[in-house]
Amino acid sequence: MSGRRLALAAALLAAVGVIVWFFSGRGDERTVVQARLNRFADEINQSTVDGFGTAARAVQLSTYLTDDIEIDLGQGTTPIRGRATVIGMAERLQPRTAAFKLSFQDVTVVLDPGQTTATVHLTAEFVRRSITTGEESLDAREFSLGMRKVSGEWRIASAMAIQVLK
Amino acid sequence: MLPTYGPGELHLVNLMAYRASGPGRGDVVAIRMAGPHVVYVKRVIGLPGERVSVSQGQVQINGTTLAEPYVRNRRPWDVPEVTLGQHEYFVIGDNRGMAAGEHDFGRAEIDRILGRILY
Repeated sequence: MSGRRLALAAALLAAVGVIVWFFSGRGDERTVVQARLNRFADEINQSTVDGFGTAARAVQLSTYLTDDIEIDLGQGTTPIRGRATVIGMAERLQPRTAAFKLSFQDVTVVLDPGQTTATVHLTAEFVRRSITTGEESLDAREFSLGMRKVSGEWRIASAMAIQVLK
Repeated sequence: MLPTYGPGELHLVNLMAYRASGPGRGDVVAIRMAGPHVVYVKRVIGLPGERVSVSQGQVQINGTTLAEPYVRNRRPWDVPEVTLGQHEYFVIGDNRGMAAGEHDFGRAEIDRILGRILY
């Protein structure tokens, strides 16, 4: 095979790769949002292992939230407002009593036309593990998240629990 | 759903069960959250249009006590009466040995019910 044919074949392969990459969703901003949420869950899970109280960890987690984040857990609870409040509450969690693993399931991302805000629908799944007995229990809640792109990164601006059983 | 179903068990769901008609009383159903990968497993006790309440742990349907032989642990829950909408079913777990506030139950829209648990 001549050098020219080789180059042509390589270019063809590259083009096919780009097409596959694009249609598999990797080129889609929705995938970026999903990846960001997965990293957020990873950070939280790491916090339950190494302790959440370190300032560095708190700073790291705060990069996933907007300054004016609002969390509404429903069922008569008072909404939590502001990143500092959320991080402060999270720091007071006691990972020694029980560890948990958070994952996001059935994630649907709807982007606005400008692709700077998004609405995300998902199920947050918590697997709690008792430190003393090792017993695991599962809890899950459906959430609607509002996300905003700030300084090139997607951040959670609101989180509202959806009541499945009313 | 103890004692009928235990935690961590694998179940088979008939997704075609309610294509022709809605769930029946006593059916154990899968109820989706944001999608089909995480579901509640609950028993249907109230059908559309019915009045449902719980008094001292006994379920009342339109004012009549519902016989529930599948319930083993029963705490004296009191739940105010609700009237179900045209597309609503009242679902609840079989294990009622905890406080009512620690148990997820209530009205589920028909479009949330994925199908019937076969086993």
